[in-house]
Formats: sequence, structure tokens, C-alpha cells
Amino acid sequence: MSLANPPLPARWRPIRLLTNGALLITGVYLILVVIYAATEASALSAYSIESLLNNSLPLMLAAAGQTFVILQGGFDLSVAGVISLANVIVAVVPVEGPWGALANFAMVVGIGLAVGAVNGLAVAYLRIQSIAATLATMMICKGISLLILQAPGGYVSEFMAYELTGSLFGQVSVAALIALAVALVWVVFRRTNTGLALFAVGRDANAAALSGINVRRTRFIAFCWAGVFYGAAGYMLAAQTSTGNPAAGDPFLLLCFAAVALGGTSFSGGAGGVIASLMGAATLMLMQKVLFSTGVSSFYTGVFQGTVMIVAVLLMTLVHMASRQRRAQR
Amino acid sequence: MGSVAALAVAGLSKRYGATVALRSLTMRIVPHEVHAVLGENGAGKSTLVKILSGAVQPNSGTIELAGQPYAPRTLLGARRAGISTAFQELSLLPNLSVAENLLLPRVSGTRFWPEAAGSITRRAEAVLKEWAVTDIDPVARVEALSLAERQRLEIVRALSHRPRLLILDEPTAALPDATWLFRQVRRLTETGVAVLYISHRLSEVRELCQRATVLRNGESIDTVDLAGVKDDQIFAMMVGRAPERAYPAPVAAAAGAETLIEARGLTTGRLRDVSLSLKSGEILGVAALEGQGQLELFRALGGVGTHEAGEVRYNGRPVALTSPRRALRAGDGIAYVPEERKTEGIFGGLTAAANMSLPQVPRIARGGLIHHRLDVAATRTAAEAVSLADRYFGFRVSDLSGGNQQKVVLARALMTRARCLVMFDPTRGVDVGTKQAIYTMMRGFVADGRAILVYSSELSELVHLCHRCLVIYGGRIVADVGRDRLTEEYLLAAAHGHGGAAPLRAAS
Repeated sequence: MSLANPPLPARWRPIRLLTNGALLITGVYLILVVIYAATEASALSAYSIESLLNNSLPLMLAAAGQTFVILQGGFDLSVAGVISLANVIVAVVPVEGPWGALANFAMVVGIGLAVGAVNGLAVAYLRIQSIAATLATMMICKGISLLILQAPGGYVSEFMAYELTGSLFGQVSVAALIALAVALVWVVFRRTNTGLALFAVGRDANAAALSGINVRRTRFIAFCWAGVFYGAAGYMLAAQTSTGNPAAGDPFLLLCFAAVALGGTSFSGGAGGVIASLMGAATLMLMQKVLFSTGVSSFYTGVFQGTVMIVAVLLMTLVHMASRQRRAQR
Repeated sequence: MGSVAALAVAGLSKRYGATVALRSLTMRIVPHEVHAVLGENGAGKSTLVKILSGAVQPNSGTIELAGQPYAPRTLLGARRAGISTAFQELSLLPNLSVAENLLLPRVSGTRFWPEAAGSITRRAEAVLKEWAVTDIDPVARVEALSLAERQRLEIVRALSHRPRLLILDEPTAALPDATWLFRQVRRLTETGVAVLYISHRLSEVRELCQRATVLRNGESIDTVDLAGVKDDQIFAMMVGRAPERAYPAPVAAAAGAETLIEARGLTTGRLRDVSLSLKSGEILGVAALEGQGQLELFRALGGVGTHEAGEVRYNGRPVALTSPRRALRAGDGIAYVPEERKTEGIFGGLTAAANMSLPQVPRIARGGLIHHRLDVAATRTAAEAVSLADRYFGFRVSDLSGGNQQKVVLARALMTRARCLVMFDPTRGVDVGTKQAIYTMMRGFVADGRAILVYSSELSELVHLCHRCLVIYGGRIVADVGRDRLTEEYLLAAAHGHGGAAPLRAAS
């Protein structure tokens, strides 16, 4: 004997937009912009905006890469190693001119891709835990960086140091364009079959496999994307600092996880997105500026960043709970 | 049946380490046929499904699909060969939309640029419509669907791959009404497709299937024409002995019982102003259509969910059930047995013994370390109550069959020594043998002055098990049915909001 089932409506989209998209963190960012503009007279000058964007871009790229790995359900520590390595390579083998910059870019992206592929092979096919595998590749990359360049030095091609950190036609910041391009790539990618597979594998690898998704291939691709973005992050860092430093990647290790968390991407995988992480990274960097402009000692930077992170994640959880209750009440 | 078999399996076996999941399975399914596979937990049904779906590879034996040798290594390989499966543990992704789930792994059908969302939705809509599902929104996320809707989606997905052989593994476990499913299955078989049908509900099997293969301990015992055998004979083949009566009569509640749990005016989610009292020595049933607020009620009493208004008293004293831990400490203890054991009830990576003794750590520890002998002794008593065999103690729970997992969950609830059990659909998706063990445990539990509140989606179970049964409709209790009036027809009428006034004919 059986009981009939009353149909339920099943749409709740505004909340979905808020939790899945980057709305919340963008709001936080805008609030900080207002505070910054109110406390710093030159905040909205072209130079100031440009330098803020230039400062933020390397972390934004690193966080974007990290997001791919976190979405599929893992962690990638190799970010620190790849950024250092890319940074050092660009400073040791500088090639002048726009084509030279492109050649340098191809080099570091190739290196990032290679490291990502190694990570992907280790995690997806050899089933090594992602933290262990990427810890190893991070150490190897840092070691190679030190072999290439023992101390900060080298120099970066003029085109990279000036054109890539400047503005196009004196109007549009190149850094902003690059960030926008990354966002666009993500918007398209997440709608591809591999993009969907990323979310599926991160949520439930077993169900994904039973749905016909190639889980190992998906994980592998996620690590490759991540490596490419780390390479680009190291490249932009070199452009911004005009020098090579074998320890350049170290601060990125924890900050890029903070940026991803701030964006609301779930560390357990399957929920979040690259745009949110881009905004998370930008927010972290802007926060430093705001603290400086409001006269807070730089010793407190870490304390504030951590606090804001917790508040943002809490807010996210509250929104999630509200949406779940909505659902339960229907 | 002299034609080429749709599926012919011979001597199939599969071992997981020391565990033999399949010993020797031989069966034949012809086109146009709906063929049932019957067996207790651990008889090998799930393993058979996994092998045919390409999820695991057998150790020996041969499979032929329409006369061709068949040895799939992946799920997609199986699909290409013409086998698709609706899995028992539902393989849907809750964070993706209905449309995306339906079309995985190739959601976007275009080559160089992702297909427009609207076009994906339209394709999904067409698939849903083709299989007569009109009430599920293709844009909705699967996590917003009820269990029954998910089950239908899982089935539609399997149907949509146009298989030559369709495997349905417990397709009605969460499906309150099988009419839709049967209609689709018949439509499919008319075109020559064969269906392998696994279900614990024998009445369903009789309605839909022509022949059945009975498995026991990983071996195929026999294939029978269902028209020619009685239920008793089938049970006998499944268990290898004459079965006990399906439902022994309940023992009457002792006079002078004390009220253990008393809830007044509980309101939360769909639940509106619900009051109830649970007395010692009583099995109090709850019947309801899906999603009438019963889950909220059980979660509130188990300390898993919250309630907005109302209060709960234990032995007359108010208690705050804000967490399962608080619930266990309330009065003489309330232990909650959750609905979805896979996600809510169990640590798949730990052994059965560890799962059972986990809440008991203080009692079995000496100086902060777990005392092995105490652990084993305490565990064995609880396991005996649910007739879980000792040999499973060392197994990781994720390696156990569904029925045995449920026994572990129940044993753990028993080990809390709580006086009240709050059980949400404890027999969902478990086989006949396990059901019997659970019934026996429940009766023994209340016999010495303890009490059980139980929800079940199977009305016959409530009728035979409970001393009293509440019916919830639209978030309110609409009927309180005593033992003397307890019939399936009566409960069904009340559950549809007829207040038990005019008993309906039993719905088919």
C-alpha cells in the first residue's frame, strides 16, 4: 500500500545567486572602497586605483587557480612554489619587447601547467592525498627557484615592468583587464561539461562517477588550470616588483586560501566560484590599504584580515541557513 | 523463450578481500521481460548491479548481452553496450540542477562553446515529458527536491539512455506511488527492452514481474515463474528455511504505564501545534503522506532540529532538546534513529564495532583510553538485540550491506541505554530478514517498560507493530487511532485528510 506524493515547487533563486555568486563579497568590497575613499584623499586618483589593482592582481590570480582545486575537493600548496619559480624565471631570462613578454609568459604558464599536471597525476591517478602531493611539488619548486637564483635579484624586461602595470591608452588599467578576462574565462568554463563535472566531483565523487563523469580526468584538469594561474600570478608579480625573488611565493600560500574562503567557496568542495575568489583576494588587498589610510598600525593587518574573514564566512553560513529554512518551510 | 537472451549470466563471482559477495550466479533474462532478483541483505544483489553497471569487475564468470560477450569496465562502457541503471543509493548531484543531472556527463551538447542554459533546460524538459514527469522543474536544484522526486529523476535518467537492459535497484524505496513507474516500465518492455527489477516489496514484484531469480549467500538458488509460487515458498528460498509469520501480533501494553515524553504545541517548519504523549511499554506509530511535517517532529524530538514554539516534558519535567546529546540526557534518555543512515547515521570508514560503541566511550574507557574488553562486551549485547552477527564487527561499515548498516545504527541507539527510541522509517530499503530483526528488537525494547515513537512509510508495518498510531496531515495530528481500529484503510483515509470519517477503499 502506498501514499501519494504532493508535488512541491522547487525554485529559490535569489538566495542561490547570493550564495553561489560573488554578490556578498562584492558588497563587502564596495563598502571598503567607500571607507577608503572617505579616509584617503587621493584614493580615487587614477594612479592610486592603478597601483591598488596592480598590487591585488597576483593574489587574485593565485586565488583563482586555487579555487579550481578546492572546488573539486582538495588543497593545492604548490601555489607558493610555482609563483616563486615563475617569478625567478622571468627575472633570470628576461626577453625584451612585447613578443619577449609573451615568450616569458608562455614559459611560466608552461611551467605552471607542468607542475599542475604532476599534481594532477599524483592526486587523481596515483591517489595521493592532495595536501601531501602538492606539499612535495611546492618544496621541489622552491628548491629549483633557489638553485636558479640564490638571493633576490635579476631584472624584468622593461615592457613587462611598465606596460603590464600601466594603463591601456592611459585609461584602462591592464591589471583590471586581466582580472576581467579571468572572470570571463570562468563564466564560460563553468558552463562547459568539464566545469559542471568539477562541481559534481567536489560534491560527491561517487555519485559523479555513477553519473558517468570521468572523476580522475576532472581532478587532473582542475590541477592543470590551477598551475596555469599560479604561473600567471608569478609573472604578474615579477612585472609589479621588477625583480626576481626565490621566496616571492611564500606569502601567497596562506593568503590565497584566505581569499578563497572570503569569497565563500566551500573548502569541502562543490560550491563556490572563481569570481568570488577574485573579489576575495581584491578585498584582502584593499583592506591593507584601508587600514593604512585609517592610521591603524600595520601590525594589526593580520588581526583585521582574520576577523573580516570569520565575519564573512559566518555571514555566508547564515544566508545558507536562511535559505535552507525557507526550503524546509515550504 | 528460445530466442537469444537479453542477458545471460553464468557462474559470476566477486570477492572483496576475504569477503565473498557473489559465489556463483547464473541467470537469464529474455527481451520483453521484467525479471525480479530477490534475496536478503548480503545475498549479492547490489554486487550484481555494480558488475552489470560497470562499476566493479567480477573475479570470474561470463556475461552475455544479446548474445555478445559483455565485460564493461566503466559506467559509460555499460551505457554504450545498452545497460543503464537507476541506483538504489541515488547517484544524483544535489548541487546541480535537475536538467544538468539528467544530461550528465554531456550536459552541454555543443562542441566549441557551452550550450545556452535555455536550450539545456528545453532538452531536459523534453526528456522529463517523454517519461510523463511534469511536476519537476528542470531548473530546480536537486537538493530542493523531495526524496520521492529524486527517485523519479534517477529513474528517468536511466530510462532516457534508451537501454536494451534497464536495471532498477529498489526503485520504489522512496516512491510512495508505483503507478507511474510501472507504466513507464511496461511502455519500455513493449519495445523489447528487458528489465532487471530488484525490490523488497513482493506484492510489487508480483504485479510487475513475470519471473524471479532468488539469491542466497551470493548464489542463485533458482529462477521461478512468479505465477506458480506462493510468497511462503519464495521466503523459504530466500532464507533457506521456513519463514516465521511476517508480523507476530503485538504484545498488549502493560496497565499503569507512566507517561515518558509529553510534547505540547510543537510548531516548526510544516509542523503546526502538535501535542502527543508517549507512555512506557508503548510503540506509538506515526503515519503521514510524504512531507506533512513528520520529519520535523522526529528531528525536534531527537534533538537534531529545533522547534519554534511548544515544549517537551519528560516525566513531567521540561527538557531542552537542542542537540542529540541533550536529548540523550533528557530524563531517561531519548535516542534518535535518523532517516538517511548514509549521511546522518554512520561513520562509513570506522568498523561496525567502533560505530556502535562510539557514544559509549565514557562507559568503556579507563583513564581516557578505550578498554578493549569492555568495548567488546557492551557491543555484543546490543548487537545480539538486533541480531547482527559477530563476524561483522571488524568490517568497515561502508562495506556492509544496507540492512546490516541499519542494524549497526540501531545497535548504537540501544547502547545509549536511552529509555525512548525515536525512529524515522527504520525499515526503509532493508530486506525481509532485517525487518524481522528490527521488529523483534522493537518489541523486546518496549516489553520492559521502555517506549518507541516510530514513523514508517509502510502502513502495514504500523498496523501490525503499533499499540497506537497518530496520523499527521498538513502539519497537524488529524487522528489518534487505537489498536482496535488500526487498519491500513483507516490510516490511509486519515493520512489523506479524511479524518478517518469515511474509510476509503485501499488505494492501489
